[in-house]
Amino acid sequence: MIEQYWREMVTVALLGTDRREPPVPPAGGLADLAADDPQPTPSQRLLQQVAACTVVRRAGVVAGPPIATVAPPAPDPRPVTPPSATVTWRRLVADWPLLEDEWVLTVLRNGRRLAPDVVPPLLGRHRTDATRHARALMAAGPLGDWMIDWSPRLACTSKQQPVAELMAELPELPIVPELVPLLAAPPAQVARTLAQGLEQLVFGSAHRAVLVNLLARVQPSALPAIGQALDRVNPSSPSIGLAFALADLTHLRHHMLTELELA
Amino acid sequence: MTDSMGRWQVEQVLALAPKPSSVAAAQPLAVPGRWSGTGCDAVALWGRCVGSSAEPYECVVDHVGVAFRCSCPSRVFPCKHSLALLLLWARGQVAAGEPPGFAAAWVAKRAAAEAGSSTAAVVPEVADAPSAVPSADAAGEPGPLPTPPARDPNAGRDDRVARMAAGLAELDRWLDDRVRTGLADPALARYATWDGLAARLIDAQVGGLANRVRRLAGVVGAHPQWHEQVLSELGALHLLAVSGRQMGSLPPGLADSVAAAIGWQVRQADVLAGVPLTDHWQVMGRSDVREDRIEVRRVWLRGATTGEWAMMLSFAAYGQSLDTSMVVGTQVHADVFRYPGALGLRVLVGRQHSAPVPAAVVGSTVVGSTIVAACEQVGAAVAAEPWLERYPICVVAAPARTGGRWVLTDEGGSLPLVEGATGMGALLACSEGRAVPVTAEWTPRGLVPLTAHLADRAVDLGPTADPSFLAAGA
Repeated sequence: MIEQYWREMVTVALLGTDRREPPVPPAGGLADLAADDPQPTPSQRLLQQVAACTVVRRAGVVAGPPIATVAPPAPDPRPVTPPSATVTWRRLVADWPLLEDEWVLTVLRNGRRLAPDVVPPLLGRHRTDATRHARALMAAGPLGDWMIDWSPRLACTSKQQPVAELMAELPELPIVPELVPLLAAPPAQVARTLAQGLEQLVFGSAHRAVLVNLLARVQPSALPAIGQALDRVNPSSPSIGLAFALADLTHLRHHMLTELELA
Repeated sequence: MTDSMGRWQVEQVLALAPKPSSVAAAQPLAVPGRWSGTGCDAVALWGRCVGSSAEPYECVVDHVGVAFRCSCPSRVFPCKHSLALLLLWARGQVAAGEPPGFAAAWVAKRAAAEAGSSTAAVVPEVADAPSAVPSADAAGEPGPLPTPPARDPNAGRDDRVARMAAGLAELDRWLDDRVRTGLADPALARYATWDGLAARLIDAQVGGLANRVRRLAGVVGAHPQWHEQVLSELGALHLLAVSGRQMGSLPPGLADSVAAAIGWQVRQADVLAGVPLTDHWQVMGRSDVREDRIEVRRVWLRGATTGEWAMMLSFAAYGQSLDTSMVVGTQVHADVFRYPGALGLRVLVGRQHSAPVPAAVVGSTVVGSTIVAACEQVGAAVAAEPWLERYPICVVAAPARTGGRWVLTDEGGSLPLVEGATGMGALLACSEGRAVPVTAEWTPRGLVPLTAHLADRAVDLGPTADPSFLAAGA
């Protein structure tokens, strides 16, 4: 009865009380209100009843009928990534996106699956890149396909097929030939070369991109030593800003790799 | 009759009450047992009244110049404490004495202000201004009266109240015009129609209503059922416009809620003077909403012991940062202080007895209700504050699809989720179609999912502020 009355009031409000009289309230509280507090004009009568009816409808919110739940995805026995890894993923997407490929590959190599809250944004981010999208689907497991069923916008939009050889490999990053030997050098040597190079201005801001690429691909065992060396770069050095950024990248990469290891 | 010390009669005190309920509220306080440090001299009377606050309210009344000062948060003037103190004095239950620091400072400040105004004497006092002190004749007995005040110390406040009343009356006239000419009026599709009214409401110092009006501008034409949504909101605005003009006759809690909804600010110091509620507060959810040119962050807390809800608000204009001190999924042992109101949801967080820790680490479990129970909670909240726009619930329910719309459902019932909820994908992924504890905000348009509470983590699903609007790192 209230809903019918409400619909009639919506119609009158659309047309305006200059054109149509407000409906008569149904017997009960709304009619009592109209009788107890009579309003002089049709517009005021309508406003009074709209206000009262709004409160009645909101305060009288009732649950709808139970709805059949959706069929869940197939079970995935792999352990889920820890909560901290989600925070790390958000950070690297924002600050160091070139680490994301390695993050997803590490999830796969360590036999983990993606945390559920990472699945929709990761699939959405890479829907135009067939290889990365396929890699994300592998890391997501059955949940990934299930999500695409419910949200087709998460499906891959690229017409290309994912390249199987690239699925398990990190994409190559350009590194100048002089720095290539550092990729496999002992950790202490890499750390010393970078720290001294920054303090002696061998490396400057022009070298930022190649140094970033180097640190994104240097052997993981070298990361702690490199991070410590970069932290100790002379604060008065003109390259301290670059050293700070590189140290951040180094620490984040080390952190991301260690937190994804299985206990 | 006033006595040799200028003491008033009880009738004169009662005639000062702004409304009958003020007298009723003051009478229980007008007993010596509720007061400490009372005293009076030829100018003022003072005392400390033990109330609901942790600290007693400090009250001073200038019985010559007729002015009041009380540290309570009441907006009724004079407040019940001032009236009670005057009643005690009128009954001869306040002894003469030396004023304590807080009273002496206030009296001296008033004297200095008086001296300054009389020295300057640039603008003459209004000679025929009505006396703030009721005449004994009016009270039914003739007799000598205290000196009428030279000027009304509450003029600023009275001006504001008058402006607000005028603004509320104008709002009601505008609403009346809308339903008279109809919602199909093309003028409603123009932002200027709404913005002009909102600007006038801000001038009238009812900024809370101005925000609601501006939000409505965005609803016009936004979806096929916009007429219904706009009409409901016009009804809520009408309710506030009428209630705001009748605040004096409303129960205190409801009057506080009306005042907050129309934009009356309560000082943080007054809130912090209240009685704290100490609990292990679970940070249940967060939602950011752009309101006009301000980002508003609501953080919903729930007491692990009491189960009571509380809401922290923070604001950020362009380039500013929102409060990030409370992270969803953590728990903090802290004192919170509630703002006045029928529901009293809004709080300030006071002393934190420990640093926030992840709730999963301390083994704190999130208790969710059924959908039916959540409906009852929402209904009770709306009945207490009929213009309520959002209310937190925590239910154990699964997302499901029906009629082209997502709902949260359990075995007893379902509630629709708001169309286009930002966290819908993540909620679906986190639940995998199964029932999980979910914190959501009820709104008249549907539920806004805020948090999925999983066994080892709480996933924040709430709408997030535009990072480009806020400062880096916000």
